[in-house]
Amino acid sequence: MFLPFFYQLRDQGIPVSLKYVLEFYRALEKGLAPDLDRLFILMRLIFVKKVEHFDVFEQAFAAYFLGGEGDSIPRFSLQAWVEKDFSRWLEEELAKGTLADDALEKLSLTELLQRFWEVAMEQREKHRGGHTWVGTGGTSPFGHTGAEQEGIRVEGDSLHGSALKVIESRRYLDYAASATLRAENLRQVLGALKHMAPAGPPTELDVDATIDQTCKNGGEIDLVFTRELRDRIQLMVLLDNGGASMRPYLDLVKLIFGLMRDQFKDLDYYYFHNCIYGCVYSDAQRLTPYPIYQMLRRDPETRVIIIGDANMAPAELMLSDGAIDYFSKVRVPGRDWLWQVRDYFGHSVWLNPIPRHRWPRESQTIFQIGEIFPMEDLTLAGIRRAVEWLNSGAPPKKASRQAAALRHAQG
Amino acid sequence: MQFHGTDKYYLNPELKEIVNIAMAMEKPLLVTGEAGTGKTQLAFQISRALDLTLEEARCKSTFKGEELCYVYDTVLRLNDSRFGTEESGRDVNNIWDYLSFGPIGRAFMADDRRVLLLDEIDKTDSDTQDNLLDVLEDGSFIIREINHKVKAKYMPVTVITSNAKRELSDPFLRRCYCHHIPFPDMEEMSRIVRLHYPEIPAPLMDSALAVFYQLREQGFEKPPATAELLDWLGALQLDGVKPPLSPDTVPFLGTLLKRTQDLLHHKKEKS
Repeated sequence: MFLPFFYQLRDQGIPVSLKYVLEFYRALEKGLAPDLDRLFILMRLIFVKKVEHFDVFEQAFAAYFLGGEGDSIPRFSLQAWVEKDFSRWLEEELAKGTLADDALEKLSLTELLQRFWEVAMEQREKHRGGHTWVGTGGTSPFGHTGAEQEGIRVEGDSLHGSALKVIESRRYLDYAASATLRAENLRQVLGALKHMAPAGPPTELDVDATIDQTCKNGGEIDLVFTRELRDRIQLMVLLDNGGASMRPYLDLVKLIFGLMRDQFKDLDYYYFHNCIYGCVYSDAQRLTPYPIYQMLRRDPETRVIIIGDANMAPAELMLSDGAIDYFSKVRVPGRDWLWQVRDYFGHSVWLNPIPRHRWPRESQTIFQIGEIFPMEDLTLAGIRRAVEWLNSGAPPKKASRQAAALRHAQG
Repeated sequence: MQFHGTDKYYLNPELKEIVNIAMAMEKPLLVTGEAGTGKTQLAFQISRALDLTLEEARCKSTFKGEELCYVYDTVLRLNDSRFGTEESGRDVNNIWDYLSFGPIGRAFMADDRRVLLLDEIDKTDSDTQDNLLDVLEDGSFIIREINHKVKAKYMPVTVITSNAKRELSDPFLRRCYCHHIPFPDMEEMSRIVRLHYPEIPAPLMDSALAVFYQLREQGFEKPPATAELLDWLGALQLDGVKPPLSPDTVPFLGTLLKRTQDLLHHKKEKS
């Protein structure tokens, strides 16, 4: 019911989740949409959370409900919906083997509905344009091992008596690690990035210390106050925006960078090209330099994130006149500049948009830089690890630095 | 339970539906909009119209969220343990004598349904907002000191207001019903004025409204809003000012424009 309309909203960029849909159905059951006007208000309340989506929503609504389809609202029952459409989908999934037959016991109704919803949306994207009902014509990428089981019961009725194919339950897939980057889950991961530091006047009662002091005082109460812990994180992002090698990752980097800008009040960002020599730049055209010596006077507690593909000619990293810009008068190799930054900012990490499994094939400089900074790729798992690095503030890998120097000397 | 507005509050039919849907679905209603569009008033009027007690929380940037649920007064208890007497009526061994409840706590523990107003939520930081929304969604919070769960007997009718000075987080928005109150147009405004000043002569009102909307269009830093208009009309009537009014010589300009910059700007425009 109304599925095509939800698709339409989704196509227009309004995020529609199963939670909303179920909520909407619940509201319908309560009879909160007796007429078209109130249906409109109800839908807008449930699906539209941002003012900028209002207009899109209104147009989609008008197109769908006022576009000749009549303005009658069929009576809706969640029960009937679950029994008819959802059960049919379930039946087909079980028959096809995309759902393990023990899934019904293992998964709650909400989980199953969630799966249903995901499939509905996925299929929608495959057959864009048609209002194909779920379960028709979808293909399953999953293998199966035959097994026979009888008497799966849904809502008290036996659906199938025949053989059901079994696959490994999808539940065991590591969703978290393979999840694609979306603004939403990224925000969650970045949310873990914090630097709690005492701030303001001492106003918070330290109960433990008060009890200690009071005991020492022979029972005379001695109140001990401490300063409150507040999030004082300062973040600096250095962005490689030069060269063709970064271009394929532009959208990805934009997404992440944009989110960071939204999330952190104290965020400074600078640009560089391939490697850092003497300065970074405060504008994307790299015209206004910001010298490294100045950067190294900042609060060393600043969290530093470098986003770059670390993919360059080895000379750029290793030679004292390797700077890619011929006019650069700097005569210190890029590697040493990177070490300076790393040594000063204990909480620093390098994010590489190239997927980790391709690093060995791309460039040896990736590993050379990886010896200086902890390096992660731009997957959700990678960013989560990077946040851990930043929070723990792993000390610079002095040992590996020596090892790297040694290897360099030998090599 | 249906909300139909009150004699002192003009309720836009759309907003009325929204309030009723939010109440039926037991969802917090987030109202945004310019200052003076009656965001905060909405909660007061729901409480008045439905005869529900109002619990009010005016947010501050230092809020952590928990104090809106409960506060545990350690210092008082320590003091009582040392100097306490029977007269205080408090039992040092009983922690409940040292717990006091904030607006959320009171709304949850009450034996009747209450209206809960969280005013200017955007002043708090995003962690606080997320914490609060967890509490409001579950209708429960935990008193950490004794690991006691307080569960709402009746889900309060929750109205949250925001001036949208700062962007609210997605998870926060997801859990609310969001409504943006647009600034009322001239016709709606005249109804609002009529509610407050039933006796106002039509020529005065029409002329005043015209001036008012002209002023609003001049792009002041703080454009005059409903509250200012009502103050101004009150002053005009008390003083017996006769229409027509002109935007060039506005009596009691200070009731409409509050910022020095805006006042100076207006004077310059005139000369």
